Amino acid sequence: MKFQESSIGGFVVVKVLESRITADIAPGFKEGLVDYVKKGNKTIILDLSEVSFIDSSGLGALVGSLKAMGNDGELLLSGARETVMSMFKLTRMDKIFRMFGSPEQAAEAVSKS
Amino acid sequence: MKILLVDDDPIARAIHAMMLHLQGHQVVEAADGELAWQLVKNGEIGFVVSDWMMPNLAGVELCRRIRAADFEHYVYVILCTSKGAKSDLIEGMDAGADDFLVKPIGPEELRVKVRAGERVLNLQQGLAEKNRELAKINGQLQSAHRLVEDDLKSAAWMQQRLLPQPTQHARGIKCEWCLEPSGYIAGDIFNCFSMDENQSGFYLLDVCGHGVPAAMLSVTLSMMLTPDASQGSPLMGANPQTGNAEVLSPGDAVRELNRRFQSKDDRYFTMIYGIYDICSSTMRIAQAGHPGPILIRKGASPEILGDGGMPVGMWPRIEFDCFEITVQAGDRLLLYSDGVTECVSQSDEVYGEERLLAFLGKNAYLPLEELVGSLLLDIKKWRSAAEFTDDVSLLAIEVTGKAVCLLPPQSKKDL
Repeated sequence: MKFQESSIGGFVVVKVLESRITADIAPGFKEGLVDYVKKGNKTIILDLSEVSFIDSSGLGALVGSLKAMGNDGELLLSGARETVMSMFKLTRMDKIFRMFGSPEQAAEAVSKS
Repeated sequence: MKILLVDDDPIARAIHAMMLHLQGHQVVEAADGELAWQLVKNGEIGFVVSDWMMPNLAGVELCRRIRAADFEHYVYVILCTSKGAKSDLIEGMDAGADDFLVKPIGPEELRVKVRAGERVLNLQQGLAEKNRELAKINGQLQSAHRLVEDDLKSAAWMQQRLLPQPTQHARGIKCEWCLEPSGYIAGDIFNCFSMDENQSGFYLLDVCGHGVPAAMLSVTLSMMLTPDASQGSPLMGANPQTGNAEVLSPGDAVRELNRRFQSKDDRYFTMIYGIYDICSSTMRIAQAGHPGPILIRKGASPEILGDGGMPVGMWPRIEFDCFEITVQAGDRLLLYSDGVTECVSQSDEVYGEERLLAFLGKNAYLPLEELVGSLLLDIKKWRSAAEFTDDVSLLAIEVTGKAVCLLPPQSKKDL
C-alpha cells in the first residue's frame, strides 16, 4: 500500500498512490490510514485523484478508518474521479464523507469551520 | 564406518584391513566380486573399497552392478588398481566409481580417500533424511488440504441447498436464478418467497469480500431472511394495534437488518429487497448499496431502477427508503450482483451496465429460464476461459398474473 504524505495549511494530506483499492489491498489501506490517526492527526485529507476503482472492500476500509477516528476526528476526501464518485453515490457514502474537488479546497473548508 | 574390502589377494586384503581397523573402521571382507555383490545386495553396505582385477567378478563390473541396482541409499565405491593407466580411470568412472587408489596403497592415502567418501555419504544421508521429512510434511499438508477442500465442497453443497428450488414460484411471481461463486462458496445469496396471502418477497444480497468469511455471513442471512415471524424475522413486525405479525415495508426491514448487523470489523453487505403486492399490482423495493435492479417490460427498453442507498451494516442509525413501481403480468425484474457488471475481460474491460442493458433488450422475449441462462453464458464468454474473480449471481423475477387478490386492501386493514 503506497501513500504520499504532504501538508496543506497545517493539515496532513495523504495521497493514495494505487489505482485500484480492492479486497487484496484494503486491509493495508486501512492500517496505513489508522497509523496516521494514531500519530495524532485529527484531520486527514485523503487525495483519491490517482484511484480509478474502489470495490466494496475498499469502501469498507474507508468507513472503518473513519470509525477509527472517533467523534473528534475528521477524514475528508478529495479529487475522487467519476468512477469512484459513482460508487460513492450508489452507496450514499457521499452522505458520510465530506468530499471536495481538491485537497486545497478541503483544507480551506476545514480551516473555516 | 562399515567398509566392505574386496580383494582376491589375501595378503593385500589383510594389510588394507589392518589399516582400516587402525583408522577406526569396521571391516567386512570379500575374496572376489561375486561374494562382494551378495553382501552389497543384502543392503547393509554403504562403502566399498574394491580391487580391480579379480576372478568371478572384476571390480569395475561390481561397480556397474551396484549403480544399476539403484539402491535406496548411496553406495560409495573406491576402485584399486595397480595399473594406473588413464584408460582404466575413464572406464572406472564410466562404471560409476567415485574414486581410485593406486597400489601399493599407503595408510595416509587410504585415510584421506576414505574420509572424503565418508563426507559425501554423510551429506547424502543428511539429504535423504531431509527428503524423508519433507515427504512426510508434504503428506500431512496434502491431507490437510484435502480436508479443507472437502469441507469447502460440503459447505458449497449446503449453500446451494439454501437457494430457491428451480423454477420456484412465490405467490404471483416466478423466479429463475444462477449463482457462480468465485471460489467454492459465495458471499452472494438470494431467495424469493410468499409472505402472506397477497404479498411475495424477493432479495439478492452480496456480502463484501468473498470466500469463507463472506459465505458464513451470507448463509446466516439466508437463514434469517424468511417471513417466518416465530424466528424473529427482520422482515416482519408486530401490528401496533392488534399485535399480530405483519409484513414490514422493505425500507423498515432493511433498517432493522442494519440495526442488527453493526459489526466491529469492516464487513457489511449490499442488497435489493422487494415486495410484490398482488392486490395493488405494485413492487416496493429497497436498495441498500446494491446495483439498481433492471425492469424489463414488453415494448420498452430495459431500465435501471433506483438511485442508490447505503449498504447494510456500514453505518448505524440511518434510514432506508424504498421506491414503488406499478407492474403488470409479464413484467420482469432482474437482480444481480456487481460481479456481473464488474466482470473484466482478458483485455481488462468491464462488462458494464450498458452491455447488460443491451443484452436484456435484445433477449427480452426469451422465456425467463433461457434469459438467465443465456445472460450467464454471455458473461462467461466475456470473461473467456478465466475463473470469475467475484461471485456472479442473477435472480430474475416475472409477474405471472395468475394469482388473484384474496382480500381487498381495505378489508385487510380491518382484520
